[in-house]
Amino acid sequence: MSDKPQAAITCQNVWQVFGPNADSALSEALSAHSEPEAAAAALREKGLIPAVQDVNFEVAEGELFVIMGLSGSGKSTLIRCISHLLHATNGEIRIDGENIVEATPARLIELRRNKLGMVFQHFGLFPHMSVADNVAYPLRVQGMKRKARLEKAQKVIELVGLGGREKHYPRELSGGQRQRVGIARSLVTDCSVWFLDEPFSALDPLIRRQLQDEFLQIQADLKTTIVFITHDINEALKLADRIAIMRDGKIVQIGTPSDIVLNPVDDYVREFSKDVAKGQHARLTSVMQTGEGLVYGADDPGLRIDMTLDAALARCMDLYQPVPVRAKDGKLLGVVNPADLAAALHVDAG
Amino acid sequence: MAALSKGSLAALVALIVGALCLLLETTLPWLVIFPDALVLPATEWVGTVMDWLLQLMKPTARSFSALMYYPMEATNLLLGGSPWILVIAVVTAIGWMLGGTSMALMAVVGLGFVLASGYWVESMNTLSLVAVSVPLALIVGGGIGVFANEYPRFRKPVQALLDVMQTVPTFAYLTPLLVLFGFGPVVGLIASAIYAAPPMARNVLLGLERVEPEIKEAAIMAGGTRLQQLFQVEIPSAASQILVGVNQCLMAALSMVIIAAVIGGFDDIGWEVLLTMRKAQFGPALLAGLVIVVFAVLIDRMSGTLAQDSRRRFDPRVAWGILGFGIVASALSWNSLPDTSDYALFDGAVDAVDAGLTAFTTANWQWLDAVKNNAMFYGLLPLRIGLDQAVLPFTWGFQWTGQMSLGLFAAGAVAGLLLALRGQVTWGIMTLILVGMLETGITNLPWPFVLVGTAALGWVASGRGLAILSVGLLLTILLSGLWDRAMLSLYLSGAAVFACALAGGGIGLLCAVSPLAWKITRPICDMLQTIPLFVFLIPVLMVFQIGEFSAFLAIIAYAIVPMIRYSRHGLTETPEEMIEAAIASGATTWQILRDVRGPYAAPTILLGLNQTILYAFAMLVIAALIGTTGLGQLIFLALGQADVGLGISAGAAMAILALIADRMVQGFAEERRRVLGL
Repeated sequence: MSDKPQAAITCQNVWQVFGPNADSALSEALSAHSEPEAAAAALREKGLIPAVQDVNFEVAEGELFVIMGLSGSGKSTLIRCISHLLHATNGEIRIDGENIVEATPARLIELRRNKLGMVFQHFGLFPHMSVADNVAYPLRVQGMKRKARLEKAQKVIELVGLGGREKHYPRELSGGQRQRVGIARSLVTDCSVWFLDEPFSALDPLIRRQLQDEFLQIQADLKTTIVFITHDINEALKLADRIAIMRDGKIVQIGTPSDIVLNPVDDYVREFSKDVAKGQHARLTSVMQTGEGLVYGADDPGLRIDMTLDAALARCMDLYQPVPVRAKDGKLLGVVNPADLAAALHVDAG
Repeated sequence: MAALSKGSLAALVALIVGALCLLLETTLPWLVIFPDALVLPATEWVGTVMDWLLQLMKPTARSFSALMYYPMEATNLLLGGSPWILVIAVVTAIGWMLGGTSMALMAVVGLGFVLASGYWVESMNTLSLVAVSVPLALIVGGGIGVFANEYPRFRKPVQALLDVMQTVPTFAYLTPLLVLFGFGPVVGLIASAIYAAPPMARNVLLGLERVEPEIKEAAIMAGGTRLQQLFQVEIPSAASQILVGVNQCLMAALSMVIIAAVIGGFDDIGWEVLLTMRKAQFGPALLAGLVIVVFAVLIDRMSGTLAQDSRRRFDPRVAWGILGFGIVASALSWNSLPDTSDYALFDGAVDAVDAGLTAFTTANWQWLDAVKNNAMFYGLLPLRIGLDQAVLPFTWGFQWTGQMSLGLFAAGAVAGLLLALRGQVTWGIMTLILVGMLETGITNLPWPFVLVGTAALGWVASGRGLAILSVGLLLTILLSGLWDRAMLSLYLSGAAVFACALAGGGIGLLCAVSPLAWKITRPICDMLQTIPLFVFLIPVLMVFQIGEFSAFLAIIAYAIVPMIRYSRHGLTETPEEMIEAAIASGATTWQILRDVRGPYAAPTILLGLNQTILYAFAMLVIAALIGTTGLGQLIFLALGQADVGLGISAGAAMAILALIADRMVQGFAEERRRVLGL
């Protein structure tokens, strides 16, 4: 990703500490200890809670970045730091190059009106407003006239499939419908950075899957930069371009879905991916050999670069020689040893 | 011997101190009666400081008073000058908008009753006071609530201030206000605004705090400014809680306006009750009391529907129709309407009530006296001055002797020992302490014992902080020479609370078991909570005349409601799964009640007790009107003499007692909740 332009979101040494005099306690701990681990331990000893510790990552423009972790791992705190619902105790958070930790209140309001959108786990709908008024609220605070803002809201309401329910109140809607309102409200200002805090966790599995699919559809059209929080590994693997896994306030691994599944850095991450049917998520690239002078057997079972491991293995069940992997147009890209394929799928068992 | 638990240790210390005091009583009499020489003239000091302060504020207050004169005159003119048909039509139209046919009907019937009673003018005077004081209270209370919400730093102090404002007895407000504003209706107005603001502030703060964090965050992320967030999202989201505040504010204002009639100077309905009560004209007093009740019910039910979450909408055209009818009817009958005080349809009934009452009391005086005397001689008096003084040949038929005391203590000791052997050490010691208190009487308790006992209770309830606080506060009462009065108040409210706890708990239990009982009890409870304090005095006075027993009954009637409600609520709100688990284990209904529902309900029941205590203290002061001898009487006396020092000191002492009791019960409730992991 070296040739990418400036990242949409950059987090550098972000800390969020809760407790009395968190600011001074943190700077004290940071100057006394060079290792973040040690600094966090020192803070805990004082009775403070380091909810987010020394977090670093970048999100590219248009990337769907998922932060995953169990409850209490600090993921909700982290997304609130990035959206500045919480003021980060330390560190730099840049959105399109602008450090929002230092932004003035007026600038923050401007950013939120134009650039940022957020969806909440329990929807955060205003109970006293109809669907249309809820969705149009971000336009109302900007002083847009009622007719104009309702017109604009209507488009987004149609987009999320709630047409015909504009006059309903939140209490009259099902959970899935409520979250559609939440999504519509966050989209009404054409935001370029979209925060979603466990948006589908409160929904039942069927509705969840449906909304995930629609969400991917919307994202394919809009191409916004997204930070998405979840505690569900399957959801993370399904949606993410990259995943960051959090534990006890720290990010323990950042990687693509297949990275996470195939090369977990420690037992914690491995534990997550344990229940995942790996073959359905990892792609062939993760076991493919590339380079010059590739040797492969006579059989060509027709492996394509975008196949999952499961699909690939099904084609070369009875083969023992390395087989070629080709692009869609038939160009040779690399070779895969069927033994490696099988081994990659059985990491768990070993 | 095994290590003592915290509770038994505290009880043991109290027991030892109490026993020592009893033993040394004869040689060191200052243990029982605090020496006068040590009493500080605190009352005068308070008086001097307050006088100085009040003089300082007086010019501002007087100009404010002059300012308030205009809106008051205006509403008075509006309400009093409008033909009654129009007033009834307006209220009925409002009733229709709020609650449809039933509410409109209630308005017509209620106001019709007021009109027929002949108290229309007085009622309108009262209503115009409320109409001016409530907006004032809403603005001030709402402002305080929003302020505390915006500046979390001030939340704790503001809440403490609201606590104190609600524990300071109503009459205690009046004396300094009287000095500040002079005689006249403005005092009642200000007093009721001050009294009605805290519930509004509390509910606004509570409502704003309870808005879901995600709703607040959504408003932030929408890019709203702080003011937009507050007024477009947070306050509307908290609307139903805030409307509960409006309802409580209205009720408090009405209650206080009526109490403020004690000062007089305004021809309102409270004054009418007071006047007729003083003249022992119970028929008219009852009628005027009923008019107050009608207003209370109307205001409560109408504003109560506002707070309901999803209420039905009613056709506004009907309301306009009612209004139009009112206007036309008043225009047509403008000159032909008789004076409202001419409507006295109930005069016959009132006379009949008076006559009937006289007949009833003359016919049954023996029986009534027996009830009263038995309660006094065998219940209240021993509690007040102890068995050793209350048991006389004249009442009990024999004289209390030293041997009897010894026998009583021996019986107590045996019972205590039995309890201790069964593992209930704390209760064993407590039994012995209670026996000692019964022997001595609450008002004769040695002050060192009261201090140590309070400290011990406070320590067990919530820790060292509360123990120190309680002792410190009690010491101020002791040193300011209000101790005897305070103990008298403590005795009467203690006896009433105890009776409420027994009876209320029992009724609550019954209502928890039997839905029918709750169906009958509930409207009675609703009614008792709606009626302004003042009105409780009328019926007890009618039957039992002036005296401590009447006050006792009035306090119980008012203070028993929370005990019933909370007991029932606690006992019925046990999670269904726990009940099912108990049933699956084979428990009978009573076993479930005793082993599952009871313990689970304990914190809730304790909160009910807490409310009951606060209610009892509030009523104690009002009951001073019909004869109690404690702090309430002092406050009342101070009002008559415009003695600010005495009024404030006695009021503060009262507030201190209420505050200590409140903190202790809260502490115990908190501890129970912690044990249950709630």
